[in-house]
Amino acid sequence: MSDETPPHRAGPSNAAVPGAPYTVEQFMNAEKEMTKLLGQSQKNYKVTVNAMFAKMSEISKSMPLARDTVRWARMNSLWPLQFGLACCAIELMDFGASRIDAERKGYLLFRGTPRQCDVMIVAGWVTKSMVPRVKRLYLQMSEPRYVIAFGECATAGGPWWESYNIMQGIDQVLPVDVYVCGCPPKPENLFEGLMKLQGKVGGKVAGSTERSVSENLQRHESEGV
Amino acid sequence: MALVRINVGPVHPSTHGVLRLVVDVDGDTVKNVECHIGFLHRGVEKLCETRMYMQNPSYMEKLDYIAPLSWDEMYVSAVEQAMGAEVKQDAQYARMILLEFQRIASHLLWLGTLANDLGQMFTAFMWAFRDRAKVIKLLEDVAGSRMFYVNVRIGGLYMPLPKDFKERSYALVDYLEGALREYPEVLDDNEVFMERTRGVGALSREDAINYGVSGPVLRASGVAEDVRKSQPYYAYGKVNFELPVMRKGDSFDRYRVRYEEMLQSLSIIRQTLALLPDESDVVGQPIKLIGQQAKPDTVITRRELPRGEGIVYMIPEKQRPYRISLRSPTFINLAVLQKLCEDVKFADVFAIMGSLDLVLGEIDR
Repeated sequence: MSDETPPHRAGPSNAAVPGAPYTVEQFMNAEKEMTKLLGQSQKNYKVTVNAMFAKMSEISKSMPLARDTVRWARMNSLWPLQFGLACCAIELMDFGASRIDAERKGYLLFRGTPRQCDVMIVAGWVTKSMVPRVKRLYLQMSEPRYVIAFGECATAGGPWWESYNIMQGIDQVLPVDVYVCGCPPKPENLFEGLMKLQGKVGGKVAGSTERSVSENLQRHESEGV
Repeated sequence: MALVRINVGPVHPSTHGVLRLVVDVDGDTVKNVECHIGFLHRGVEKLCETRMYMQNPSYMEKLDYIAPLSWDEMYVSAVEQAMGAEVKQDAQYARMILLEFQRIASHLLWLGTLANDLGQMFTAFMWAFRDRAKVIKLLEDVAGSRMFYVNVRIGGLYMPLPKDFKERSYALVDYLEGALREYPEVLDDNEVFMERTRGVGALSREDAINYGVSGPVLRASGVAEDVRKSQPYYAYGKVNFELPVMRKGDSFDRYRVRYEEMLQSLSIIRQTLALLPDESDVVGQPIKLIGQQAKPDTVITRRELPRGEGIVYMIPEKQRPYRISLRSPTFINLAVLQKLCEDVKFADVFAIMGSLDLVLGEIDR
């Protein structure tokens, strides 16, 4: 038995968490910090219409620390849309059910309406008649919004590649942030995918602003989908 | 009052997929329900014509993604029939055990989601998934993959059974018998559940026969029809089990039928495990590029799937099916929704739809 205090029992220290964009002090006083930052930025920011509706994104552009705080807040409250298409939706249910229980990690509050969500998990094959609906759901989500292609079908068409009624991958229609592979992927894979998305949202991954869109994005329109 | 037309879906949390309903309501009373399907259509039957025989089970499993093994087994048995291949005796018992486990897993998922639909009874949902995870784990260890097993080969199974298969199955059956007793405590004694299912969506015996529904929906309406009894395959003729049959045909009866069926499945598994020898030989033919040739003749296979009676109608060629036609039970069970939803309250549409146990992948094909 060693005499060292286990890390989770140690009190708050001033040492920064390696790799984190904030110090522990800022973390502990997050609320105070946010109020201060907002107050400062409102002074600097030229208010044209109403200070109540100052955009977070514009504040965060002006100040690096505020940008990191906003990123941190976004990163830790990802709300997925309750949106199942096919087989993968069963694994999505298992993801929220008792064995995995994703809620303990803070990902899961599956919402029924797109307006309260950040993440769209496309679970299943997307048929041509479903494309306008998926697009509409995506546009109804509030910005910033992220898309996870869950499973082979949403990634590249999967086993239905040759079918006459299938989009060969959701990235022909929507920009995709993270691909999760498998047919269907295990719930653990979705966990990994969401953690990658967290890193991307938090700015911890190189090239995190990139999103993959297939080259022929307009193809579905030319085909009259 | 004037009728108001409400659109539900195709993306709706309670429709279990992408079913679109157009509901005409007068106040809160439903006057007419129209179902619009086809949002998951991908042409399975056409795709099967371009594949070799043993490439198709993967497509068949994705029809009914809640009980994949049952479709897999039904298709492979049609191929066996076309080739005139015999199934090994031990493999028949093993298939029966796996199919009944699959039935239990399917009914458990249905039970959990129904309770969730009827007003956020999350306890039953969590319990159902807890028990389902145990069944799925056993099936995974037999087949090697978690959800789509592709486990059935011509004449047997893909792999030999695990060494401790019998012990684990007995232990799982014992566990499930205890666990299933807990569900009535949260469902049958639950006032919300009873209010929303008892007397809601009653299907009479005549209508059930006329609409051609099958499976638990038919048996809840008082018709004792089951392919396992009327045309026994494998060793279903040797084991003793009862058909749970109810009278009223409402949502509550459909729940009771499925619940009793799970207990009967456990009894079937117990009896079949006693028949299965310890040193079992279950491995079937491996998949080859050019396999055994089929005799060109029409083949029909009937099976009792968890959702009703499924039929594979196949015209074989030598190495691949010339034409396949499938009867999916939920497609025909869906037709009855319009009848059941006459003059019910709007919220009950989802209770009725949930009790029918729809799987959209199988409906749209």
